[in-house]
Amino acid sequence: MKRKLTIMTEPIDEAALQAQRCMSAGMGAVVYFLGVVRGREDEDPIKAIDYESFREMAEHQFNLLFDQIEKRWPVESIRLVHRIGVVKVGEPSLWVEVVAPHRGEAFAACQFLIDEMKRVVPIWKKPIAGR
Amino acid sequence: MQVSVTFYSYFKDLTGCAGALEELPEGGTLADLYRQLIRRFPKLAAMEKSTLIAVGIDYQPRDYVLKEGDEVALFPPVQGG
Repeated sequence: MKRKLTIMTEPIDEAALQAQRCMSAGMGAVVYFLGVVRGREDEDPIKAIDYESFREMAEHQFNLLFDQIEKRWPVESIRLVHRIGVVKVGEPSLWVEVVAPHRGEAFAACQFLIDEMKRVVPIWKKPIAGR
Repeated sequence: MQVSVTFYSYFKDLTGCAGALEELPEGGTLADLYRQLIRRFPKLAAMEKSTLIAVGIDYQPRDYVLKEGDEVALFPPVQGG
């Protein structure tokens, strides 16, 4: 399974990521997910979220999740981009793409990856109040 | 033995620092370390049940036996995405 993990402070360029998509003829499903910063956190208006990571551990934990996906589903590739630092409301903080032969495994693997990321990958958010 | 501890996220605010060096007797566990840290940083006590602990870049249980030079990370539940 091909894997590409990027943790960066620069804005996520969806168009560029989609243009770089690479899949073989046997693949029939591409699922991608975009996580976007909401304008409210616990009912309070915010203007941005400041994401912090324990980078080395985050990369390691993402790779452990990729290992699990590789064992469970016939996924051809995963690309994941997580932005850290200050991300303004309306901007994406997370982009995930899963390429697989069929939609069932692509959806399942993508859901698993995001759910588990929120449980084990050491990234935290600090809301920045304001409008 | 001596181990280093790094705090992440709002644990830095609770403790007022980014990390600490702690002396522990040989055979000391992560649970022993946490008890010691609570004495030094009392605000950590309320977070004990939800605190995640890693040694190096892997999560470890509270009964993990520490070794000289271990790098321990303490942090609250993660919130990526």
